[in-house]
Amino acid sequence: MPLIECRQLSKTYRKGAGTIKPLDGLDLDIDAGRFLALMGPSGSGKTTLLNLIAGIDRPSEGALTIGGQNIAKLSRSRLAAWRADHVGYVFQLYNLVPVLTAYENVELPLLLHKLTRRERHERVATALSLVGLADRHDHYPRQLSGGQEQRVAIARAIVTDPQIIVADEPTGDLDKPSAHAVMELLCRLNSELNKTLIMVTHDAATAEYADQTLHLDKGRLVEHSVQAAFSGETATTRPEEGAAR
Amino acid sequence: MIGPRYVPLVLKQVVRHRVRSLLTVAGVAIAMYLFVAIQTMQRGVAESTQATAADTTLVVYREDRFCPFSSRLPEYYLPQIEQIEGVQSVVPIRVVVNNCRASLDVVTFRGVPRDRFVETIGKGTEVLGGSLKDWQRRSDAALVGETLAARRGLKVGDTFDAAGITAYVAGILDSDQAQDQNVAYVHLDYLQQQTDKQLGVVTQFNVKVDDPARLNAVAQQIDELYASAEHPTTTRSEKAFVAQVAGDMIELIGFTKLLGWGCLAAVLALVGNAIVLSVQDRIKEHAVLQTLGFNGWLIGRLIVTEAVVLGVIGGLVGAAGALTTIQLTRVSFSVDGLSIPIRAEPQLLATGLLIAVLLGVLAGLVPAVQAARRPIASCFRAV
Repeated sequence: MPLIECRQLSKTYRKGAGTIKPLDGLDLDIDAGRFLALMGPSGSGKTTLLNLIAGIDRPSEGALTIGGQNIAKLSRSRLAAWRADHVGYVFQLYNLVPVLTAYENVELPLLLHKLTRRERHERVATALSLVGLADRHDHYPRQLSGGQEQRVAIARAIVTDPQIIVADEPTGDLDKPSAHAVMELLCRLNSELNKTLIMVTHDAATAEYADQTLHLDKGRLVEHSVQAAFSGETATTRPEEGAAR
Repeated sequence: MIGPRYVPLVLKQVVRHRVRSLLTVAGVAIAMYLFVAIQTMQRGVAESTQATAADTTLVVYREDRFCPFSSRLPEYYLPQIEQIEGVQSVVPIRVVVNNCRASLDVVTFRGVPRDRFVETIGKGTEVLGGSLKDWQRRSDAALVGETLAARRGLKVGDTFDAAGITAYVAGILDSDQAQDQNVAYVHLDYLQQQTDKQLGVVTQFNVKVDDPARLNAVAQQIDELYASAEHPTTTRSEKAFVAQVAGDMIELIGFTKLLGWGCLAAVLALVGNAIVLSVQDRIKEHAVLQTLGFNGWLIGRLIVTEAVVLGVIGGLVGAAGALTTIQLTRVSFSVDGLSIPIRAEPQLLATGLLIAVLLGVLAGLVPAVQAARRPIASCFRAV
């Protein structure tokens, strides 16, 4: 059974007098432990899909079932609790709280859980070690490089040990070496910790780190590529040719 | 309201824009300083003028006179008033002030017969330092109210001059009676000799009635007794007397109530403005927190707590500043020898803080609700 099931998923926004539909009747299944890249031109609906899966937006139509639960039907507060337990979000521009240190930023999601100060400390230390920033715990975001900030953001995303990590262009603001380090880190989370990773990217080279790539256009799935592990060879199917799984 | 683990987050947000927060706290402090100062005046008026069911003192004054210089009554009224049924005791008092106008530094001498002093002062009055015997023994002795002594820096053994009278401080009076805190009690005959050399003339009689229910009846009998005399009288309860004689000043102090409300409105506007600006700066940050799993209700509570912190810091500084000023200066409004006490009472600090908390909650409420209800995805699109 897939971890994430999208059925006839649509999203409509009002814009002025008219409406826009970034997602239009999408069907998609994502298995647990996958590393999926979402690609497509601007306005194709990839960030909208990411936000729906992360539970920070709601579909206008259709069902979105994650781990057997239709999250589209959860109340606002239950959806927030669900996010706290199940999803880690990595933003393009890191979105760390500037007045908090790296440690405090990573600790933020843990404040929502019933943990002692000591337990929180242990988890934050583990997460910062995992991203290679144990020695930067008392640094403020302004004292870190872009790559380091993004690693802190990744530590914040994994500190609660969520099942799903979503990343919206995680390397979009980084130079090549930093981008490579961040992608290596995400790959490790996927392969070593078995996290399900869903990443939006414009960059084909970044998408190659994923084991599956979905191409969206005008809110619909137009292409589905599966990278063969280590060989770099890619098999491509169109939605009408088979399931996007 | 929020768990202790969120407190560092709130405090860091409060000091995020230091200048803005400092200005807000300073504004709140100034407004609360004024508010608490006004409250002390309002309390003083209430204490001096609000009648209670236990009031048993009447003041007999010369009819149509409102100033101690012009109220002159013959001392021989004393035994006649004592004869009236229901009268427990009568004390003739001569009042001399160094300034007949409304002022913050008036010295009021009250001349009372040495054998009737104990009847004059209330039960809640005691002599601190010095002694009553000293006062009774020495003809120029004065028992000085604590407020007056503190304001003038007087201590037992000192000699002081005011209104052309020289008096020796035989003791300091600590009293819960508003009118006893800001006066100097001297011997009646000494005061009569020192002022106009007119023995046998007093300013007023203070009459104790055995039953509060008979207050009005006794007052009426006294006034009827002297209705056609050379010196007719007007008799009122002590608090009604204060309310009438110091009426203009009380009206002015009453007007300051509006200023007090204005101060609170200023606090509300200042804190509200600071929080609205802060929340507008952090739309995306709140969306990030919600993405991490913070629900709207928690975000709202964090914002309200920020407003409360600003309000409480400012309120604490302002209220403590006002009470310290009042404690140090020991001023008291006086007019025509009557005092409206201005006291630094600790419960005013608690009241000020409580109001600061309430205003903080009110000021933070609207931006908190707005931030809590904002859809997350739209926050990222808007920024």
